[in-house]
Amino acid sequence: MRYALRRLPVLVVTLWAAITLNFVLPRMMPGTPADAALGKIAGQGPVTASQRRAIEVMLGVPHGSLLSQYWQYLKAIAEGNFGISYTYFPEPVSKVIGAALPWTLALVGTSTVLAFTTGALLGVLAAWRRGSRLDSVATVGCTFMTAFPYFWTALLLLYALGFVLGWFPIRGGYSSSVSPGWDWTFAASALRHSVLPAFTILISGLGGWLLGMRNNMMGVLGEDYVTFAEANGLPARTVALRYAARNAVLPSATAFGMALGMVVGGSLLTEVVFGYPGIGYLLYNAVVNEDYPLMQALFLVITVSVLLANFVVDLLYGFLDPRVRR
Amino acid sequence: MAGTPGELGAAGGRRGDGVGGSAPGGSGAPGVGAPGTDGTSSGSGGRDGAVADPQPAAPVVEGEPGGHPQRTQQPLLFASGLDVVYEPAGAPVVHAVRGVDLSIDPGEMVGLVGESGCGKSTLGYALTRLLRPPARITAGRVVFDGRDVTALDQGRLRTMRHRGFAVVLQSGMNALNPVRTIDGHFADVLRTHRRVRGAAARQVAEELLGHVELAPTVLDRFPHELSGGMRQRVVIALALALQPKLVVFDEPTTALDVLVQRAVMDTIARLQAEVGFSALVISHDLGLVLGTADRAWVMYAGRIVERRESAALAGAPLHPYSAALLACHGDPTADNVQLGGIPGSPPDLSVPPQGCSFAPRCWMKEPVCRNDPPERVIGTGTVACHLAPRKLVVPRALEATVLASTAGGMGVGQNSTDGTATYDGRAALSAGPGPGASDGPALSPGAAAAPDGAAWAVRRRRSLERVEPEALVLQDVVKQFRTARRTGGRAGGRADGAWPGVGRARSSTVRAVDGVSLSLEPGHAVGLVGASGSGKTTLGRMMAGMDRPSSGTIRLGGLRVETMRSRDLPRYWQRVQMVFQDPYAGLNPVHTVGYAIGRALRNHQRLRDDRLRSELHRLLEVVGLTPSGQFSAKLPHQLSGGQRQRVVIARALAAKPQVLVADEPVSMLDVSLRAGILRLLDELRRDTGVSLLYITHDLLSARLVTDHLLVLQKGRVVESGPTASVLRSPSHSYTKQLIEAIPVVA
Repeated sequence: MRYALRRLPVLVVTLWAAITLNFVLPRMMPGTPADAALGKIAGQGPVTASQRRAIEVMLGVPHGSLLSQYWQYLKAIAEGNFGISYTYFPEPVSKVIGAALPWTLALVGTSTVLAFTTGALLGVLAAWRRGSRLDSVATVGCTFMTAFPYFWTALLLLYALGFVLGWFPIRGGYSSSVSPGWDWTFAASALRHSVLPAFTILISGLGGWLLGMRNNMMGVLGEDYVTFAEANGLPARTVALRYAARNAVLPSATAFGMALGMVVGGSLLTEVVFGYPGIGYLLYNAVVNEDYPLMQALFLVITVSVLLANFVVDLLYGFLDPRVRR
Repeated sequence: MAGTPGELGAAGGRRGDGVGGSAPGGSGAPGVGAPGTDGTSSGSGGRDGAVADPQPAAPVVEGEPGGHPQRTQQPLLFASGLDVVYEPAGAPVVHAVRGVDLSIDPGEMVGLVGESGCGKSTLGYALTRLLRPPARITAGRVVFDGRDVTALDQGRLRTMRHRGFAVVLQSGMNALNPVRTIDGHFADVLRTHRRVRGAAARQVAEELLGHVELAPTVLDRFPHELSGGMRQRVVIALALALQPKLVVFDEPTTALDVLVQRAVMDTIARLQAEVGFSALVISHDLGLVLGTADRAWVMYAGRIVERRESAALAGAPLHPYSAALLACHGDPTADNVQLGGIPGSPPDLSVPPQGCSFAPRCWMKEPVCRNDPPERVIGTGTVACHLAPRKLVVPRALEATVLASTAGGMGVGQNSTDGTATYDGRAALSAGPGPGASDGPALSPGAAAAPDGAAWAVRRRRSLERVEPEALVLQDVVKQFRTARRTGGRAGGRADGAWPGVGRARSSTVRAVDGVSLSLEPGHAVGLVGASGSGKTTLGRMMAGMDRPSSGTIRLGGLRVETMRSRDLPRYWQRVQMVFQDPYAGLNPVHTVGYAIGRALRNHQRLRDDRLRSELHRLLEVVGLTPSGQFSAKLPHQLSGGQRQRVVIARALAAKPQVLVADEPVSMLDVSLRAGILRLLDELRRDTGVSLLYITHDLLSARLVTDHLLVLQKGRVVESGPTASVLRSPSHSYTKQLIEAIPVVA
């Protein structure tokens, strides 16, 4: 508990830094969103002062000193007010993101956790039975699988299982014939739609986890404490899990934390390929449509999720490894 | 061997189960026969019994070569014809253990000694079935308590570990699971073997900890919260939890501090006597083994070359190898201290031996040594040497004497001489490998080596110019470290020990070096001794300009370390160089020797091309790595430990330093190689006038290469003076403790 409390200030400071950077960076870019919009209009004819004024008001071009702008910005964030999305006008940004976030968390979060657990377990098994057929198949197979770019895997699955065989829907989060709600038809539809993207993430992630875990495990198996546990006649399962795997998982846990942080922002390509209504797809649309308020809010959400995930893993690590708990 | 050891052994195991002494000595089952129950069984089991002497023509066989000639009881463990090979993928097969026969009686303590790579740990692992691929037992049997261990499957083996054999691994530093409390370790073992859980298990654990003199509170700690000695005690207590009949101690004290070493060995000896288990102590330290074990086996190149009672071995070794190993030990407080070394290095075990494996390094070898040596029984022991029993006089490499007339007083003279060629006349062959190609060229014993050594010295004197003399002066040097509070006794951590940003407020400061003043005069050698944590390495690092003192001054001529800016430090390093402890970590494995030294020459002397090359070769010759052309192209992994340390020294010399700071330069090396390196350091000092700060925990080597000694305890100098008088008449209790901790070789 004390360990967690000591970690908290670090989290607060990094959060503040992230929020501030999110404020500063756009202001350091040359031009404003209004200029960009005006530039487009200027292509069709001269821009009048009232047009300019109208666009500036619509886009909310900032006014006042930088400090007061910063204060306004912090206040807005505290209220969860990120402005109005251009793309989904007149929906507020917070609502747009709020609608997309559960999809991403459910799909990418679950499949990342799944990829990690199965990958790590298989890695433990492969290392424990080193030299066996399982080991060689897993090692070679995973090296092969991780070599594929994951969007390419996605396209391949989409074509084979979705287009040619027609087993799974090709795009979207749920069928257009059902309406979102807490009922079975919707859940079934959502699940069917999530299979292909989830599988893509699983395939692309699993190999890395397996190989990483296997390598860690091989190192740990050479440690004296594993030999000593064996020499004390402990059951093989105890030695493999409680002595070897328990220590081998430590480096992977850090990597897993990073991966969890990337859940929110890192699934862009997969979601775009499958037209999945999550954060990645939203970000893609925001960029394509120059939707600055949405972009800015998404960047913040992604940064904060990375920070939170790292914080959680930090806490978890303290639990996993007594040597850092002080 | 007839039949597959597996099946037969399993049969034997079932039969022997619970029957104890009723081994079917002459029964029809070949391969099951335990050695005879008394000493008269010579030849009883034929080639399948314990008598597996490769040379049946051995003169007298009063008993079994494998064990006691006068055994009266059934051995607890015996092995016959044991072969172990390593079969790594893509590398030659290494024959680590070759046809070993041995036996251990109930309640006795046997020591197994030998240099690294002789197969002793492999043998220990084979006896306890802990070998992992690519190691494999290819022949022979290990019978423990009537069962063939080599034939048991993993499940039975696991149950057998209880009340069977336990293992205490090398130093125990890493033998505990870092993420598990000590309590958890005990819980695992007790639940598995004794079906004890919860509070009852805790009570048993507390009791076991009591045996090794640890408080019950240790149970709630994690391994990293304990000191090395405490960890080793926990490991011993865990081994005892199995209620073993045999405990194999593999280098039980190697990584421990000198004072702790002694205490742990005492505990082991006491427990062995009290609990009554048999013990096999595997160690490279002959002194440690002879001090505690009843019998000792000396292993070389995968074979046991001598087995004797400890006192007999210490008094009159029969095998030249044992004699040479013994000569690497000594009493640093004696009038006349000599140190021997063994030239050359152990043979490549992937090549089948031609005759005696030790012959290439033996100073007594004769044509007959080309044949496989017979195992002769002499007295109560055995020796595998053609020449035994012959008087053995080992050539010495280093010597320090106290002149009789002035002994004890101020006028303590000390000198170090070339190999005193007092060996048996007959053995005066210029045997041994040519100088240079081996690890200990300077040690090539005998007349052939002496002129060579002299030529060297001349060459060295001519080529290394004397540096202008300046003393390295330390005044009130203090070094403080901020460390996090810890429960275990790991004081004096590294400077970067504190995690940045976290827990600053809760950290405390430790004075690793606390007000040391000393002056290292040109051409002199000062020794810095103390137990680990005494601050000697920290002091050495500051003197080498690698750390800055917290306060106090370190001056060399006009240079002042404590005020120098980082970018000026290279100027200091040109004059003060460091030789590190670990020659294996001190060289970048991807660079050749020539590159490593050339790099230093470029940096420090700005040499290029031809001049760099000639200087490189000269340095290699200075440190005895000849032919230099051949050595400069080698990569570190192609060199032995001693050769690597010579490269490290050559690299330090590349700066033409005035001062060499050598931090435990020989502690990682086999004893047989130590004398060579020590002698090199000593000669460098005499020939080139470089001054030497020699940091060590080993008082014997300090006696041999230093003329002044500082004893450090908790960062303070508690005693200082001429080396011989400090060691011979110590005044401080801590110095006395250090001297007493040295295992006594009778």
